Amino acid sequence: MAAEAILLRRSHGATALQAPVPLEAYRGDGGYEGLEKALSMEPGDVIEEVKASGLRGRGGAGFPAGVKWGFIPKETDQPKYLVCNADESEPGTFKDRLLMETDPHQLIEGCAICCYAVGAHICYIYIRGEYVRQAEILETAIREAYDAGVLGDNVLKSGFKLDMRVHRGAGAYICGEETGMLESLEGKRGQPRVKPPFPAIIGAFGAPTVINNVETLCNVPHVMTRGAQWFSDVGTDERNTGPKLYCISGHVERPGVYEFPIGVTLDELLEAAGGVLGGKALKAFIPGGASAALLGAEHSHLPMDFDSLAKVGSMLGSAAVVVMDETTCLVRAVQRLAKFFAHESCGQCTPCREGTNWSQLVLGRIERGEGRPEDPDLLLRMTANMSGTALCALADACVGPVRSLVQNFRPEIEEHLAAGRCPHPYRPVFEETA
Amino acid sequence: MSKNMVSVTIDGRTVEVEAGSNLVDASLKAGVQIPHYCYHPKLSVVGQCRMCLVKIEGMPNLQTGCTTQIMKDGMEVRIDDDEVRAAQEGMMEFLLINHPLDCPICDQAGECGLQDYSFKHGQAFSRFSYEDKRTYPGKERIPLGPNVVLNMNRCIQCTRCVRFTEEISGTGELGFFQRGSRAEIGVFPGNELDNPLSTCVVDICPVGALTSTQFRFAERVWYLDKKPSLCTGCDAGCNITLEHRRGKIQRYKPRANDEVNDHWMCDFGRTTFQAYDEPRLSTPKRRNGRGEIRTITWDEALTSIHHSLAHGAAMGTVGILARGAATTEEAYLLKLLADSLETPHRGGLREPGPERLIPTSNGGLVGSEITPNRRGAELAGLEAPSSAERTAKMLAGAVNGAHSALLLFDGGRAGLDNALRSPAALEGLRKAETIVVVGWATTELTEIADIVLPIATHAETEGTLVNSQNRIQKFERAFPPPAGVRTGVEALVDLLRKFRPDFAPKTVADVFGLMATELSALEDVSLTELPASGIQLPVRPQ
Repeated sequence: MAAEAILLRRSHGATALQAPVPLEAYRGDGGYEGLEKALSMEPGDVIEEVKASGLRGRGGAGFPAGVKWGFIPKETDQPKYLVCNADESEPGTFKDRLLMETDPHQLIEGCAICCYAVGAHICYIYIRGEYVRQAEILETAIREAYDAGVLGDNVLKSGFKLDMRVHRGAGAYICGEETGMLESLEGKRGQPRVKPPFPAIIGAFGAPTVINNVETLCNVPHVMTRGAQWFSDVGTDERNTGPKLYCISGHVERPGVYEFPIGVTLDELLEAAGGVLGGKALKAFIPGGASAALLGAEHSHLPMDFDSLAKVGSMLGSAAVVVMDETTCLVRAVQRLAKFFAHESCGQCTPCREGTNWSQLVLGRIERGEGRPEDPDLLLRMTANMSGTALCALADACVGPVRSLVQNFRPEIEEHLAAGRCPHPYRPVFEETA
Repeated sequence: MSKNMVSVTIDGRTVEVEAGSNLVDASLKAGVQIPHYCYHPKLSVVGQCRMCLVKIEGMPNLQTGCTTQIMKDGMEVRIDDDEVRAAQEGMMEFLLINHPLDCPICDQAGECGLQDYSFKHGQAFSRFSYEDKRTYPGKERIPLGPNVVLNMNRCIQCTRCVRFTEEISGTGELGFFQRGSRAEIGVFPGNELDNPLSTCVVDICPVGALTSTQFRFAERVWYLDKKPSLCTGCDAGCNITLEHRRGKIQRYKPRANDEVNDHWMCDFGRTTFQAYDEPRLSTPKRRNGRGEIRTITWDEALTSIHHSLAHGAAMGTVGILARGAATTEEAYLLKLLADSLETPHRGGLREPGPERLIPTSNGGLVGSEITPNRRGAELAGLEAPSSAERTAKMLAGAVNGAHSALLLFDGGRAGLDNALRSPAALEGLRKAETIVVVGWATTELTEIADIVLPIATHAETEGTLVNSQNRIQKFERAFPPPAGVRTGVEALVDLLRKFRPDFAPKTVADVFGLMATELSALEDVSLTELPASGIQLPVRPQ
């Protein structure tokens, strides 16, 4: 599939240390035309346009962005906010990072259009604490935008007022959960809130708030300039539209961020990335980040979009594709993921606090060769108790890989149990950290 | 005020509840209990223990009952349901995998949410291996403050205590630290849990993580007899449960009354029963001609008091003074006695004390007097002078002259007004020819008394008190007084009969009934019919 780069057109071939696209160059390449167009429209029409594009949230849940904007009350005495979720912390996910460090104005423009559409005059970009350089790049770009009159009291001389701030997190995965992020933004302990009420009604500082992922907002300028019709024509079907960034990592020749129309298959993606590392056979892959269910090689022809992956019990999530070759120990890989979730659980609700830790303990003992015959079923029962019972989605995120390991790769576990040790030589899929 | 009522069906039983009620509260109306740990009716709703998951028709997932508000008619809820039971069982398993299960040495055993729900919703075996339990080394017994000890291993992270310090006491000493399964409760660095309400966090802790230094290891809770009572530490009148074993009080716990103290009481109030450990008066006594105190019988004592008071009334002055700890019924009998003696020297005593504040949803409850029933004494007809000077004047009037007699009804340890206990005041009192002291403990007053009558403490009798809101509340007798000791009402009724042989009332209820005929606010109310939450009396203009 020949793919036209949309989101990455100015980032093409960029390396991490390259300077970001400055405002002048961005404008010279048609930048901020989407914002100008939006400012010439009624805010409601902007929302309708985004709705018509079928743009779904790129953060993981895939909620239609335009519908989300439509939830913001029009008549209210309260201020409204846009909080851009740049707390990209899921293992294997690094697409927002590339967008921010190479082309920050694309994000600023997307944020500005969204703010205009919902009537927000303050936008926070909540960026994960580890993204120090990216936060500095954004701050520089925001300063540029203020100086050029793109932000401030009179956005592009339209009379619309918009302030934008970068807010740095302190390195907690849970602050990528939207209400956890709001708590953190307000200066509190970052832990998710009870929903409902949803942030569209009671969000940041108790006021109506839109929360969108970086990639989602980066799509918005293109929806405006090229039109909803163009956008909805890209992709698999009318429910899965637009360009999409895929982060491919693991056992692959050329890991990195690749842009495709949504719905690329793993085979196509692997082809672009040079195939499985060392020409080995594919054993399994994670299609959508650490919280997605593992799929076997037989699914490599499946379009990786929201609905096709949901049909086989996995999800597109953040489109972080992790490739595992034939030598990978899946028990170790999943134990590593469970350990991540146990480490990142905020600890307030019971199933997540206890379940994530228990999962990684049981997987750990299977991996060490100390597993018990009843352990696979224990994992299934345990994950059933975690699924849909927790306060936020983090417990379910842990359930994804753990349950899929038992359901799709049970023989792997049985091998460990029978051998009394791990049958695979140690080869880390993710780097071990302390 | 008419409230917007909506109907909800819980396990097939339809009940009407106020719109906006949550499911945990509503289910109680339907006679079903939804298990919960983190939810508390007076704290903010966080929905984090996940114990109250229920099935709601039309909702895809199980929902937490505490966060589900009933806004309109027709919600259908299932609790008696396999899916709900599985969720409850799952949560119990999660909560117990890391719990030390040290019930045999845990103070909470017997009143523990984990124990109760384990029996009801849990399973009898563990699938968790013992060696993997998470522990908090070195955090098994950390004093959080002077009154509360934390055992982090037992904590289930419900954060009720944290929310209490944030939302009720307003002091915010406690926080939730760390993350995931290492999450823990603690005080912020450099801080101490030492607010005046700190022990309330022990009451609301559903498990044995927080224990009170006062009650720790004092008694297994299943040995305790519990009676509804009132705190007599000040005039706030907090509702309490008095818990004792064979007449030895072990603790006071606040008893919920939304009109008065919500679910709270102060740390000071919890210590007030310790006064009852003081040396008790056990028999009536009289000072003989040589100044020696000798034990006498009740009949001798009552005859002797009758004689002294009647003599004093005929030949000089007589004073009847009640401390504000007297129950309303006792104060009323004293008033009748004063009427019989036709003496104007009568009154209660007012003693200001430190202000004690209980933050409640009704705007707060304040106690500012040491004596718990000054208003009750006034209701009964024993006016308390408004200042110390007036009190002194009243006393001077009562002990004026050669044949004066004084009856001091001294409810407790603090005795009469502290001003009265000063050496100078005691000297002044000695001018009276006869001093009769009615009380339960040996005090400076009993040292100078000519006749002493031993009566019951408030734990050993029943009656009513009127608190700072002017709300009359009743308390029950927790256990009988020691042999040879009578209740204040019994003693005063017997004494009154010496003056008025036709006086019929015998019991506290009889006296209350007689008093109620005089008071329009209590018209047609008997002691047994007095509501548990009390009756609000009109507030008297000051």
